[in-house]
Amino acid sequence: MNRLWCALRALSGMAVALPLVAQGKPIAFANGTTVMAEYGAGTMRELQVFYAPRYFLSAGFGHIALDSDIDGRSRDVTYARINYLMKRWNLESAQANIFTWGSLGRATTGEDTQGHLAWNAGGQLDYETRRIYASLKTDYYGASAFSHRIDTLQLGVAPYKHDFATLATWCVVQARRYTGEIHRGTEVAFLLRLFRRGAWVEAGPTTDGHIQAMFMFNF
Amino acid sequence: MRNLIPFLAATFVSVAANAGTIEMKVNGLVCGFCAQGIEKTLRKNPATADVFVSLENRLVAVATREGQDISDDKLREALTASGYDVKAIERTNTPLQTLRERAGGRPK
Repeated sequence: MNRLWCALRALSGMAVALPLVAQGKPIAFANGTTVMAEYGAGTMRELQVFYAPRYFLSAGFGHIALDSDIDGRSRDVTYARINYLMKRWNLESAQANIFTWGSLGRATTGEDTQGHLAWNAGGQLDYETRRIYASLKTDYYGASAFSHRIDTLQLGVAPYKHDFATLATWCVVQARRYTGEIHRGTEVAFLLRLFRRGAWVEAGPTTDGHIQAMFMFNF
Repeated sequence: MRNLIPFLAATFVSVAANAGTIEMKVNGLVCGFCAQGIEKTLRKNPATADVFVSLENRLVAVATREGQDISDDKLREALTASGYDVKAIERTNTPLQTLRERAGGRPK
């Protein structure tokens, strides 16, 4: 058990050290729409809607709300975002991707609801076969009133190989760190991920007893 | 015998012109959620009657409508637009139902 915790700590450290991270892909397919909603263990909530005119490009809108469990302050950013698939490796039995994105929007805080210009930049690196999944994602937000970064590492194992039209089941460990006085330490969550066709659901508890959940739909 | 040869020749030409099923070997096919675009893109082609995707066999198969075909360029374009790489294209007479049964997939 100690070894597992050491491994998780090491992996969460990597999430902070590396400038890239990943989860659900921000680009579905050409002429596809992606809707994502995430509840991040009481610290973060995010909603995103993207349309992809090409398989390597999507654009849309999002809103992220953060509640600091250090000083109790809240931050909200509503943004317009462009996602870009920088590189994809289609291997015989695997796929790997590098995504990047940038946003401009309006930020408010608990004590200042007037609104200020906010910007965001992020990236994601992922690798998957039909049995293993790994992703690393980083998301930086800057505004006059605050700045923070959210780094997320996910490692997943599938108990069986799903096929195109069958239910996919994944067991995923997620480690997440926040900078900017939002949350101290590393949030670790154990997630059950299910998807079939264009619907994706994942949920599970964090080690400190909160719920982490994400829903995604491609159509 | 004289009548049989033209009949066989005509049959051969007909099969060659309308293979019925196009089977493509595709790299990167590991996620059913991400591969939805392949089916959607191929179904938009007016020559497409049905589409079958098998992650297990790295296979994308298209049944074409009677007397119609889709060029290799159009097929590669459709798969590339979905974010995948086609490694091989083969025209066969194997019905999609047979491919589904071979792959252990359920009939549509």
